[in-house]
Amino acid sequence: MSAPCMHPSCLLLLLLVVCRHAHTNLVSVTENTTVTTEPPVETLSPITPPVAPLTPLQTGQKSVVLTGENHTEKVEVVNPVTLNLECVWTGDNKRLPNITGYWTKDGKTIESSYSNTQLQNDRYYLRKEFSIMSEEDLGTYSCIFGPKAKVDFILAAPYLGEMRDKPIVSYVGDSVVMICKMDEKKSKPINWNWYKHNGTSKEKIEVDSPGHRYKITKDEKKTKLVVHNLTESDSGVYFCGAVYGIGTSMGHMQLRVITYFEPLKPFLGILVEVLVLVAVILLYEKTGSKKENQSGPEGNPDQTSNLSHGENAVADGHSGTARQRKV
Amino acid sequence: MPPPTTNNLGYTPPDGGWGWVVVLAAFISIGFSYAFPKSLTVYFKEIQEYFGVSYSEIAWVSSVMLASMYAAGPISSVLVNRYGSRPVVMVGGLILSAGMILASLGTSIIHLYLCVGVIGGFGLAFNLQPALTIIGTYFQAKRPLANGLAMTGSPVVLFTLAPLNQFLFDSFGWRGSFLILGAIVLNCCVAGSLMRPVNKMVVFKPKTEPLEVNGAEEASGAEALRSEDSPKSQSCVHRFIDFSLFKHRGFLIYLVGNVVMFFGFFAPIVFLAPYAKHQGIDEYSAAFLLSIFALSDMFIRPATGFIGNTRWIRPKIQYFFALAVSYNGVCHLLCPLFSGYAGLVVYAIIFGIAFGMVCALLFETLMDLVGAKRFSSAVGLVTIIECAPVLLGPPISGAMVDTFGDYKYMYYTCGVLMLLPGIFFFIMHYYNYKKQEEEQRKSASVEMRTAEDSTQQNLYQKDNLTSEIET
Repeated sequence: MSAPCMHPSCLLLLLLVVCRHAHTNLVSVTENTTVTTEPPVETLSPITPPVAPLTPLQTGQKSVVLTGENHTEKVEVVNPVTLNLECVWTGDNKRLPNITGYWTKDGKTIESSYSNTQLQNDRYYLRKEFSIMSEEDLGTYSCIFGPKAKVDFILAAPYLGEMRDKPIVSYVGDSVVMICKMDEKKSKPINWNWYKHNGTSKEKIEVDSPGHRYKITKDEKKTKLVVHNLTESDSGVYFCGAVYGIGTSMGHMQLRVITYFEPLKPFLGILVEVLVLVAVILLYEKTGSKKENQSGPEGNPDQTSNLSHGENAVADGHSGTARQRKV
Repeated sequence: MPPPTTNNLGYTPPDGGWGWVVVLAAFISIGFSYAFPKSLTVYFKEIQEYFGVSYSEIAWVSSVMLASMYAAGPISSVLVNRYGSRPVVMVGGLILSAGMILASLGTSIIHLYLCVGVIGGFGLAFNLQPALTIIGTYFQAKRPLANGLAMTGSPVVLFTLAPLNQFLFDSFGWRGSFLILGAIVLNCCVAGSLMRPVNKMVVFKPKTEPLEVNGAEEASGAEALRSEDSPKSQSCVHRFIDFSLFKHRGFLIYLVGNVVMFFGFFAPIVFLAPYAKHQGIDEYSAAFLLSIFALSDMFIRPATGFIGNTRWIRPKIQYFFALAVSYNGVCHLLCPLFSGYAGLVVYAIIFGIAFGMVCALLFETLMDLVGAKRFSSAVGLVTIIECAPVLLGPPISGAMVDTFGDYKYMYYTCGVLMLLPGIFFFIMHYYNYKKQEEEQRKSASVEMRTAEDSTQQNLYQKDNLTSEIET
């Protein structure tokens, strides 16, 4: 299956011709026969233009052979593409010569996709072509054989690399670095954006905001958001978006800003525990040895008097153990 | 050369009683010393992102800490010789705590190298040496068991610190965690306060060496006595560190063998998880391998101590150590044959056993060779010399893996680096034991003659003492 012409001027002509039929284009995809493809104009909305010039539309093919009842296939879509999805089913015990199959998108049946498939080479085939032009076209496309077998194709922009699911903790007055990465093997995004969730929606973070607190660095596969001079109001959910031709892939992470008093509490608790234990141990030793030393000959300077800090409850120099010389 | 297994301390170590509390204290100190640097790796990823440095730069923090801990060994020995174990451990705990608290305020990676690495390392050194030394003063007959139990501190504390560190990190981020760790390591001071100097209320035994005084636990007033230790010893230097150890045959054998061994000792652990991932095992199962390793390590250490204590093994404990080292070598040489997850689990278990055996006996054999009196200086010298192979081992192995692209050559090298010292130990200790038996026979006859002279000298000593105390 090939598109008629890909040259920009040719496309322009087509645009003019097709414009009137634009609305019916997507919906009127006919049954499983091949469809001529044109770039539908209406989906090239002015708000999200691909930064690159109109590249020749890519075509792709995904084929899945189903042996059980269910299968899920993840498909990464980077740029607008015409995707040809094919489902092959090995059938069940009944081997009916004809089976009804149809396609759904995100659970909703695509009305015009009902077809009868015949058993060929001991298998059933369902094929359909989809134009994936923008973010609305992404989702879960499923082909369903009769009531029994189903293959899900999950079309999405490349997922971000593993994100930390627990909150990042930082301190008031300190700075924090948040990183979003795309896997090495996946294609690099056109751009990166950062957003902060402000209760109702995502608000884009601009670098030139007053106070110069934000700094965004963008490498090819990695982006960093640095926030300086944190305050408690900076806590919340932050989103990073990897912009591709087809749409934006979002990742999120949570920031928690706390004051220094929070770790100080367990610190002081453990400090008290240590002081108490040391005091108890040294006192026990001192009283224990005093009983032994009722007739002790001398009191040698104790080793614990070498300690400097306020640790020792035994501040004086009495001996903790008797150290008797050989006689 | 005094034979290693007889008592030359001048008193009878209690071999029990408060000694077991001291073993607990040593357990804590040794545990922190070995496990603390390893457990900090939990924080590295976030610190790396925060300061914007590469992973190898952040990994240097652990290496600097370990290097500093080993390099400060002699300083620690000097202080233990002079002041005894207890103050040194308590000061060590304070230094370590101060280092961590300062690190939590850090503003650059250099700051972390200094606070966590150098200062922290010093604090750990002041914990390790005294803890090992004090066991030698409290135990003689049950010393291998006590050593084995104390060395079990390392895997147990690691096992506890790893999830604790993860929890602290999730709750407080790295700065708060360092602050709280600064408080947690103050428990080393608690351990130090338990290290009561041993009570030498013992009746003088004329037939053992009368002139030697136990150098490890004396207060400063007794230093004048030490110079009469042996007529020909270098009295000035001996107060600080005993360099005459370099003429000690057993010590030299131990040193040479250990230096070679340490090149290949730690690398297999460091690369166990990456090797597993390289074979296609997922991250969590690979991390679980390390837990299996730590568990088998944990149980074998006291067991080894116990076996080393039995009357068949104790006199020839050097052979037992040589066996443990060789077993390690064989284990690594066979490692490439273990494939798949089940194979690696088996390898982790037997490697854990091998590692634990060597660690449990590591310092016991040194004590056995040089005696508890000179142990403090010996361990200081050994650690500073071992500093180089401990630091260089993992990076060299890493370079090998990168060059060949395969882990098996690294394992073969480590295997050889452990098998050779093992065989070396077997041969040299056979020779050493023979020599010692000869010397024992000779000195037995000499002792009879000098017994009379020594009683006279003791009377002279007593006069000196009373005059000192009066002033």
